[in-house]
Amino acid sequence: MKLVIKNLKKNFEKKEVLKNINFEFEEGKIYGLLGRNGAGKTTLFNCLNEDLPIDSGEFYLKENNVKKIEADDIGYVLSTPNVPEFLTGREFLKFFIEINKDKIKNEKNIDEYFDFMKIEKEDRDKLLKDYSYGMKNKVQMLVNIIANPSILLFDEPLTSLDIVMQEEMKQMLKSIKKDHIIVFSTHIMELALDLCDEIVILNKGILEKIDKNNLDNDKFKDKIIEALREE
Amino acid sequence: MIKTFIISSKLKNTYRVNSIIYSIKGLPLINKILPSSLYKNKFLKIFGNIISILWEIVSAFLWKGLYVWLVLGSMTFAYKTNQINTFLHIFVFSTLIGEILNTYLLNPTKDKYYSIILMRMDANTFALTNYFYSILKLVIGLMPFTIIIGLMLKVPLLICLSMPFFVALLKIIVIGIFSIPDFKKNKVVKNENLPTTKIWLLLTFLLILGFGFPYLGIVINEIIYIILFFISVILGLISLKEIITFKDYKKIYKVLLTEENVYAVQKASSTKTIRENIAKNIEYDGEITSNKTGFAYFHELFVKRHSKLLTKAIKKQTLTIIGIFTILFVIIFLNPTLKEKLNSLPLIYLPYFVFIMYMLNRGTTITQAMFMNCDHSMLTYRVYRTPNVILGVFKERLKTLILLNLIPALAIAIGLVLLLYLTGGTANNLNYLIIFISIISMSIFFSVHYLVMYYLLQPYNINTEIKNSTYTVVQYLTYFVAYYLIGKKIPTFSFGILMSIFCIAYSLISLFLAYKFAPKTFKIRL
Repeated sequence: MKLVIKNLKKNFEKKEVLKNINFEFEEGKIYGLLGRNGAGKTTLFNCLNEDLPIDSGEFYLKENNVKKIEADDIGYVLSTPNVPEFLTGREFLKFFIEINKDKIKNEKNIDEYFDFMKIEKEDRDKLLKDYSYGMKNKVQMLVNIIANPSILLFDEPLTSLDIVMQEEMKQMLKSIKKDHIIVFSTHIMELALDLCDEIVILNKGILEKIDKNNLDNDKFKDKIIEALREE
Repeated sequence: MIKTFIISSKLKNTYRVNSIIYSIKGLPLINKILPSSLYKNKFLKIFGNIISILWEIVSAFLWKGLYVWLVLGSMTFAYKTNQINTFLHIFVFSTLIGEILNTYLLNPTKDKYYSIILMRMDANTFALTNYFYSILKLVIGLMPFTIIIGLMLKVPLLICLSMPFFVALLKIIVIGIFSIPDFKKNKVVKNENLPTTKIWLLLTFLLILGFGFPYLGIVINEIIYIILFFISVILGLISLKEIITFKDYKKIYKVLLTEENVYAVQKASSTKTIRENIAKNIEYDGEITSNKTGFAYFHELFVKRHSKLLTKAIKKQTLTIIGIFTILFVIIFLNPTLKEKLNSLPLIYLPYFVFIMYMLNRGTTITQAMFMNCDHSMLTYRVYRTPNVILGVFKERLKTLILLNLIPALAIAIGLVLLLYLTGGTANNLNYLIIFISIISMSIFFSVHYLVMYYLLQPYNINTEIKNSTYTVVQYLTYFVAYYLIGKKIPTFSFGILMSIFCIAYSLISLFLAYKFAPKTFKIRL
């Protein structure tokens, strides 16, 4: 399965933020999306998630046939975790499982989901308002992957997590990548190189893949920075 | 010194002009045409500058004129005491209140924050030049009105002329005798915009002296005023020396101009603060749970965990309404001659109840709580925005909102019907039914209106700031239409029937629109 983007354009008034984006993201890989501040990474995600209307172009899922992307096909994890604070972690999950019942394959017990995300037993029945930042982040990710969408967009989700949580999340993402198309935006080069199978940069409104071509990590880094610097 | 004053004035003017352009850009429809490069548009800058300068001139006179006319002039007629003395009495005490609440020099305003803290301008020069400019503006702005209104009340011209100086001198004294010495001694500066309990007590005391004592026939006279004026001249001169020779304004402003102080007033009404307050209202104990599933489960937990926020005001409203009608019934019982007058209340004044139902409706607060504590986070999940989920939750919410608002509405509807019956009834018995249905439809109308507007124009962005000017305009329009109907004496029969038809038709149409468009419109503003 592939996420295909064709001739996607998005302008804010006269500023061309996304210029003719053409790209194919494949299932089974984690893509690291890198770009300078204001390059349009979040705009690209917002367009793919249909939070923002695009000016022209199209994007769709392609396996044997072309399929329009529906709400159930996409999970979008924001950099700041947003969870309904009046619910407990368990209640939030229960609600999400119930409204996605017919889409969840191999539905598990709520506690199994918590175990998968390494959320401690004593925290599961606490109000989300009393969760730490990292815990909220974990719940947000869990809810986004529970319904098993084909595409998962992560907008700098690990930036504010401690190193242990970061490692847990990295392992979790690696464990689910087989059945998903994962695009992961970050500013942390080491994280991108360590976690992602492909590096894609968004520069001057153009999305392009940076091939590693047997370079070692240091040289690959230099190549990425050079590409980001290009005028 | 003049250079500093000019730079600070230019800075003040720039953000004023930008605020004007920002407001223009916030207007519905117009904002779609105007580009963000508007801020560098020369024509608009000139236009903004003209408005800004005009405003500086108008504001120098406008508020002061209103103050002298409304607070001093009009109030003077409210008492039976000597007019000149009463005028001076109210003037002296309201001046004292004004000086406590705004000294100019130590008011933590944004222009001081920008200039001294952010742009690191020389604090001493900035403080003194801007302070004396404000004092001069105060004297010039007050003078025409103390003369005109004073002379109209037969206050001697010399006293009229002295009054603006008295205000200025007291402002100077508060700084020179109290604030600066207090800072020198204790290194503290109080935020005038957030008065302490002691200050509130002092203000209440001054209010009683100023506006309560004249009722008892106790007012100062011209001689006392003149003595006070001369004392203020002496103390004012001493204070002036203190203000001019003081060299540590930078230290004062470092203490005073914290972000918390400067934005204290805006913060109280900011959506962030509202959000924090609403978040505090989440009630949780392990017992509160729900046996429902899906949307109903989700919504029931929301209602149960916010029960105080949702029902507290409604309980109060209902009890107050029952109380008012009980009092009216007792009055009728004790004094049957009033029956005829009260009979007209439900028969002629039904249009008033549009405004009353508008005021009672909790739609705004409830939809605000829904956003802040629920949709703010949930709308970031794509699945929550699918038509099925949006409409499922919408239905549950609509039921709750209508039911909650119906509680006080029923109290009013039953109260009015009973009132009509007890005060002699009506020739047309249909009126009973019409009154009842009108009130209930008005309540349902406002509930539907607020919820549908929320779903169609969802105005908040991820930072819980209102970003949809159309939503604000609709809110104002609702208020104005309801307000417009106050005072309209229309026979209940025709008004009631028209109102009921309108409410039912509006509700049906807007529900249709919500079902059709909400899946597209109900999302976080970007």
